[in-house]
Amino acid sequence: MSTTAPVRERTEEEEEIVEPDIPWVVIVWNDPINLMSYVVFVLQKLFGYSKEKATRLMLDIHHKGKAVVSSGPREKAEFDVYRLHGHGLWATMQKDR
Amino acid sequence: MAATFKRLGGNRVRVRLGLEEVALLRELPEQLRAVLVDPTDDPVNERLFPPAYLEPDDLERDAEYRRLMHDELVQAKLANLDVVTETLARGAPSIRRWTVDLTAEEAGAWLGALNDLRLAMGVRLGITEDFDGEFDDADPKAPAMRLLAYLGWLEEHLLEALSA
Repeated sequence: MSTTAPVRERTEEEEEIVEPDIPWVVIVWNDPINLMSYVVFVLQKLFGYSKEKATRLMLDIHHKGKAVVSSGPREKAEFDVYRLHGHGLWATMQKDR
Repeated sequence: MAATFKRLGGNRVRVRLGLEEVALLRELPEQLRAVLVDPTDDPVNERLFPPAYLEPDDLERDAEYRRLMHDELVQAKLANLDVVTETLARGAPSIRRWTVDLTAEEAGAWLGALNDLRLAMGVRLGITEDFDGEFDDADPKAPAMRLLAYLGWLEEHLLEALSA
């Protein structure tokens, strides 16, 4: 085994420790097929948002091309993306900068 | 377009369809099932299963997301299509109408299936942001455009019932 192995291990541990502190944002992108009423419905269902908040986000998506719909640690953001994909919304995630 | 969705107690939804609509909703899920289980790079699957991460730094994370989640997403979409097919089989036909009561969960599966069918059609028809819903009757795509509009109408009515 290479003597560099312990160094590599330490790097991975550091990543594990540091990662939860970096906030991630979940973005839903505009698409030409999803109904506006459907997007509002899904945002309310998945995130428990009020109709007003879900509608505001949907209009941002529609007019600005995208909107941040949730944020948090990477695991939570990934779970949100997964649920949005399950509902046919075009969602991605990235580090909040 | 004869379909109606009526909200019942306990968040159930009563669906009434014309027989030609039943035939259509038997056929379309079959077509989408074939695409969902197709391992080749179909643009429909690119839309239904988009990347979770876009940043170049996150390519490994995206591969991991796909590895862990892709099959689950496919299975969930297949399960929604199965619910449509199974509830259609359970429905009671009369002379020109067909009726079934859906549980809240089944109605949710219908909604997901209808939306996936529309997303798939939209990709096939090359619909972009510029599309205003208008099309020429002489366009070879017109029948498919009418079908897409019908499914949108159907989905909108189901959403209204679910939100009632």
